[in-house]
Amino acid sequence: MPADAQNPLILFSEALAERARLARPLVAGITTQGHRTRPGTVWRKDVVVASEQAFPDVAEARVSLADGRNLAAQVAGRDPGTNVIALRVDGVSDPAPLAAAEPQPGALALAFGADQIGLGVRLGVIHSVGPSWHSRAGGRIDRRITLDIALTRREEGGPVLDAAGGLLGISTLGPHGSVLVIPRSTVDAVLEPLLSKGRVERGWLGVAVQPVLVPETLQAAAGQSRGLMVMGVSKDGPAAQAAVHVGDILVAIGGESVTSSAMVAQRLGPDSVGRQVELRLIRAGQLLAFNATVGVRPPQ
Amino acid sequence: MIPSGAVAPNRLRVAVVASDAAMRSRLAEIIFECGHALVEVAAAPDALLTDGTADGTALASAVVLGDGEGDSAGLLPPDASAAQIDAALRAVAAGLTVRWPARQVPAFGSLPEEPPVLLTPREVEVLTAIGNGLSNKAAARQLGISPHTVKFHIESLFRKLGASSRAEAVAKGLKRQIVEF
Repeated sequence: MPADAQNPLILFSEALAERARLARPLVAGITTQGHRTRPGTVWRKDVVVASEQAFPDVAEARVSLADGRNLAAQVAGRDPGTNVIALRVDGVSDPAPLAAAEPQPGALALAFGADQIGLGVRLGVIHSVGPSWHSRAGGRIDRRITLDIALTRREEGGPVLDAAGGLLGISTLGPHGSVLVIPRSTVDAVLEPLLSKGRVERGWLGVAVQPVLVPETLQAAAGQSRGLMVMGVSKDGPAAQAAVHVGDILVAIGGESVTSSAMVAQRLGPDSVGRQVELRLIRAGQLLAFNATVGVRPPQ
Repeated sequence: MIPSGAVAPNRLRVAVVASDAAMRSRLAEIIFECGHALVEVAAAPDALLTDGTADGTALASAVVLGDGEGDSAGLLPPDASAAQIDAALRAVAAGLTVRWPARQVPAFGSLPEEPPVLLTPREVEVLTAIGNGLSNKAAARQLGISPHTVKFHIESLFRKLGASSRAEAVAKGLKRQIVEF
């Protein structure tokens, strides 16, 4: 009926189904021994990525693709810091996903998954977009993109596309049922180390810290009102070797003021490993400086 | 529906569904260990034990080990003990639902947000001491201050953290903020 052909709702629906059809080559179904199929994202030639956090501790998997093939895959590396696991799957061609536009709150997004039945599609809007952030495991995520799409436990790790079909990143379950996107640029940044070394090395000092107020009498000397109190020191870690004590208040790393745990995480990115840094501390009412060599953050 | 018999029979008729032969024999062994009878799925079992990979998990009285979604009556970790599996089988046979406390939905989270109110180093020390279970007196001795001063700090901590108990203050002020680097 001509009238229906002009119906915007039908046009919208057809456009969405067309998007899903075009996205199909990006979606992989990953099966591991003893577990049901979970989604992954075909990232480039011979590489599939997925959500790391709930991925079983295995070395091998099977990957099923849009063209019906079911291929053997090896886990090449995993990074809890950015929640990315990389699988090497020989025989996968580059899906060459389109670049996504700058994400905007309110813009439509499609989250894709795969289970034993096949493709799964969910639709919603981008709920919020924020600046870069650090995960609890120390990884830097380029943007904080949340979706108003609900995913079940086994639906994370598939591609998230914008309305134009551009690849925003991969879906990830966040706290309190929220759904986040690990941006494409963040996955790209960890992929090389994951494929070559199996992990992403980040800096480590071997301290547990808690934000505190700098005592008023020392705020002028320290040049800041906040610092990070050392609550624990790992035996033989870089901080222990630099003679950092429990109770010290850390105020700067490498000449840069730190007033929050996020700022410490910033100073301890992958490029910090092996570097000599000056730790400025307040101890017993005095400002002191120690040199430490940044170590490699141990796996959790 | 809850079965009319109030007490579950001592010996249940349990079916096992598993992805492979090795898993199947492991689960069957647990059934025997618990003193239950192994029956076929088609034989209307009292309960079903599965590793969650095969069909049959939708059965009302299924206990799923490991990867189960929230629709099965029993969800247990993959490494559940025979005693836990036995208890779960009996529970689901009696029409109950079984979950394990550590079963968590994954949640990729950020570093803790900056707290709205910062504590002073002394307050953190006092909080650590009471978090270690010390009395005001013992905390005072450890920190080299008077019990009166400890009490003063605790009152300030309660006010800053909006806590009404020492445990709540420790949880709000300490545990949620400490990060390892």
